[in-house]
Amino acid sequence: MVRRRQSICRRLWSFGDVASLVCCRDSVRTICPQNICSLRAHMEGKYYSEEAEVDLRDPGRDYELYKYTCQELQRLMAEIQDLKSRGGKDVAVEIEDRRIQSCVHFMTLKKLNRLAHIRLKKGRDQTHEAKQKVDAYHLQLQNLLYEVMHLQKEITKCLEFKSKHEEIDLVSLEEFYKEAPPDISKAEVTMGDPHQQTLARLDWELEQRKRLAEKYRECLSNKEKILKEIEVKKEYLSSLQPRLNSIMQASLPVQEYLFMPFDQAHKQYETARHLPPPLYVLFVQATAYGQACDKTLSVAIEGSVDEAKALFKPPEDSQDDESDSDAEEEQTTKRRRPTLGVQLDDKRKEMLKRHPLSVMLDLKCKDDSVLHLTFYYLMNLNIMTVKAKVTTATELITPISAGDLLSPDSVLSCLYPGDHGKKTPNPANQYQFDKVGILTLRDYVLDLGHPYLWVQKLGGLHFPKEQPQHTVIADHSLSASHMETTMKLLKTRVQSRLALHKQFASLEHGIVPVTSDCQYLFPAKVVSRLVKWVTIAHEDYMELHFTKDIVEAGLAGDTNLYYMALVERGTAKLQAAVVLNPGYSSIPPIFQLCLNWKGEKTNSNDDNIRAMESEVNVCYKELCGPRPSHQLLTNQLQRLCVLLDVYLETESHDDSVEGPKEFPQEKMCLRLFRGPSRMKPFKYNHPQGFFSHR
Amino acid sequence: MERAVPHAVPLGQMEVFQTLQRLHMTIFSQSVSPCGKFLAAGNNYGQIAVFSLSAALSSEAKEESKKPVVTFQAHDGPVYSMVSTDRHLLSAGDGEVKAWLWAEILKKGCKELWRRQPPYRTSLEVPEINALLLVPKENSLILAGGDCQLHAMDLETGAFTRALRGHTDYIHCLALRERSPEVLSGGEDGAVRLWDLRTAKEVQTIEVYKHEECSRPHNGRWIGCLATDSDWMVSWAEYRMGWQLQALPAEGLWLMVAGDPHLSAQVCGGGPALTLWHLRSSTPTTIFPMRAPQKHVTFYQDLILSAGQGRCVNQWQLSGELKAQVPGSSPGLLSLSLNQQPAAPECKVLTAAGNSCRVDVFTNLGYRAFSLSF
Repeated sequence: MVRRRQSICRRLWSFGDVASLVCCRDSVRTICPQNICSLRAHMEGKYYSEEAEVDLRDPGRDYELYKYTCQELQRLMAEIQDLKSRGGKDVAVEIEDRRIQSCVHFMTLKKLNRLAHIRLKKGRDQTHEAKQKVDAYHLQLQNLLYEVMHLQKEITKCLEFKSKHEEIDLVSLEEFYKEAPPDISKAEVTMGDPHQQTLARLDWELEQRKRLAEKYRECLSNKEKILKEIEVKKEYLSSLQPRLNSIMQASLPVQEYLFMPFDQAHKQYETARHLPPPLYVLFVQATAYGQACDKTLSVAIEGSVDEAKALFKPPEDSQDDESDSDAEEEQTTKRRRPTLGVQLDDKRKEMLKRHPLSVMLDLKCKDDSVLHLTFYYLMNLNIMTVKAKVTTATELITPISAGDLLSPDSVLSCLYPGDHGKKTPNPANQYQFDKVGILTLRDYVLDLGHPYLWVQKLGGLHFPKEQPQHTVIADHSLSASHMETTMKLLKTRVQSRLALHKQFASLEHGIVPVTSDCQYLFPAKVVSRLVKWVTIAHEDYMELHFTKDIVEAGLAGDTNLYYMALVERGTAKLQAAVVLNPGYSSIPPIFQLCLNWKGEKTNSNDDNIRAMESEVNVCYKELCGPRPSHQLLTNQLQRLCVLLDVYLETESHDDSVEGPKEFPQEKMCLRLFRGPSRMKPFKYNHPQGFFSHR
Repeated sequence: MERAVPHAVPLGQMEVFQTLQRLHMTIFSQSVSPCGKFLAAGNNYGQIAVFSLSAALSSEAKEESKKPVVTFQAHDGPVYSMVSTDRHLLSAGDGEVKAWLWAEILKKGCKELWRRQPPYRTSLEVPEINALLLVPKENSLILAGGDCQLHAMDLETGAFTRALRGHTDYIHCLALRERSPEVLSGGEDGAVRLWDLRTAKEVQTIEVYKHEECSRPHNGRWIGCLATDSDWMVSWAEYRMGWQLQALPAEGLWLMVAGDPHLSAQVCGGGPALTLWHLRSSTPTTIFPMRAPQKHVTFYQDLILSAGQGRCVNQWQLSGELKAQVPGSSPGLLSLSLNQQPAAPECKVLTAAGNSCRVDVFTNLGYRAFSLSF
């Protein structure tokens, strides 16, 4: 039975809802006729859409329909029940009739159910759509909020911005309006507007500063001009000296004629009586030595005899003054400090005071250059100092790198090893210094002269080491024993310095001035060229990476002079850092090399560079040339050029690299390499002119 | 009047000269005395200094014990090579070999026992002697160097018995294959030649630079050092029966190892890379990744020690791995010496010397303990 009903239903639905609804129009009274009309119209669109139908129907009515259908069903069921319980033959027909009715109602229910589902789905879709819209609006809102926040921050930043001009100390407002020209101040605009006002004030500041800068420049040029004038005047003054000298010279015959030298000598001896003991010893010994052994030595006394005489008078009593100043100090405590400082300064000056008389020694060398030595005696420290000056017969063109060679500060440094003249030789002095706050004498030597040890010895002063003692007596024998050696050393020093001076002048122009009597040490053709010779600072030398060995060996003291030479051939550049000991030429200049060619080569990564260094540093004796070997530096540099030639020419050619050798071998060599460290033939053999290994 | 004697020359001159000499000193050779307690070192000024290893290694060693016990002028030129027999110290450099008695060497004014000069053909420049090699079985000494020949000298009579010719440039180094009277030589011409002493003939030639793997044209082709080692060869070769010869070429460095007559290996270094060679097949086995030319190489237990340019003593595994680099005090090393004299086990040290006046002493292979100094 059930199956049959179902099949009917199916059939019914296959005709379409409309048909079924029409069939049971009586029972389905609630379906509104308009709806059906529109449904029909819809049907004409060839397909039937339940979704579309949903829109046309009223959910309320559907609900009514539902309720009504359920009631009908209940009623039919009850009637069937009733009929069945009654039994009878005609019952079956009635039951069948009711069953058909209830089937129709079921159809309606089913339809309603589907409609309900579609509605639900639609409702959901709508909700979802609405939700998405809301989300989008929310996002937009948040973006806007963020933007607002950012803009607010920017605004605060702008408000907090500190302009540079706030740090500039501007002139006050009143002053500004008073002084600034109206085209800058623009009072009518700026009075009300603080921004414009500040701008105007800044303009005025700029204007003022510009003017001041102009003024400064003017002052500078003025100063320059004055300096130049001073220079000219100085030159005039210094030219006066030789003229006066020549006048003196001219007057000599007259003096001689009038037997005045006796007079002069007598006068000098008279003056000498006022010399302090050490200077007196020096004076006597130097004069004696000059007369006996060295006619080129002349001795003179300088300074005011009257002042020297005054020294022996008892000092005037200044007790009253002192008590006065004491009283003053008590009164004004504010002035106390400067007074103390001045007092200490005075004390220092007093301590370092030198005797008004000094002894001048003029030592004339063979080439007419003169070493002027002025000896002073520091009375309170009981030491002697010397100032040196070298004058030459011909005017010297001073090469830049020779700056320190003849400077009074360094010309006599380390005449004896280690005697750099920067420390006081008198151990007692340290205690005196402590009292007045002098740390070391070093700061004063430029002014006072250098207290070299040999100076003390020439003056007969002998200081035992590490043992302070106050009574040091000037001793003639000590002075005499040192006179000859020291004079000879002084002469050698001056000559070697002058020789260096001359060599430097050539070196700076890239010329290695080999003299003819040293020519045999080198081959005729040397291709490598010196291109640079400059002086460098001690600190710079210490910092070079290839000079570590010399620094560690303690050969780079601060009394030495330092130079940098550059030798070039083609693409090869050889740097040589040179230490020039003040004891040149008995102590040779020391070279450290760094070759830039196919990589950087120094003594630590190339045995041959090491060998080149030892060729100039250790084998320097064969480069000395004729005595007194002042040409050593030049010869060493020339040797370096030759060594670089040999190094480059004997470098083995890398077969894998195309092209000719950069440096064809021109030097005659017996063998290219020798020994385990593959030394190159650096030794030059005169007169055959070939190179061999050492 | 009493006159003090002034110094005509500032004192500094001598001191500066000595400092410069020390600064430019190169120690070319070392040799341990037969008693194992002394080490002789020869420098480029021809001086030999004898250090007391036992004093320097003792617990109460002072600074002075690291200075030479005695220093004497042995040659006019550099002392390139030294070896010790059981009584003598043999030194060579400028063309002559000189013998000194170890027993008398510590006394002042020691004179050489004898001196010999191999028959040279040139007269313009005396060729140097770069390598000395003792052949204990024959009681002879092999000298090689500047004249491109190996000279064999009978130590009994002092006569030069043979000259082995073949090298086309001077010879840097020699090595002995102990179990057969064969000598290896390596030279500036880039060839390692194997000589049979019985027939005085050249048996084999390996031209290392021709092997692409180990050639380094920018460094040249020279062979600076060679080494062979029988102990190592026995143990190692038996383990790997296929191998017969190993060699290491580097810039001037050859190392040869020989054990059983059929098995031999060598290491060589110099211009080409440091390489371990298989002698029978003349093929390189291991090429050691060392850029700087090596000047000395030796086998030690199952390691290979090499030294050359650079401050370090390099320790290699046979497989070519760098096991350690131990820094020394010289910028470049030229010789290593292992003191393995059984007479002085307490003095068992490795010493290394080169481009400085210091001999570095390594009490173990890990670090430099101290330096002996000229």
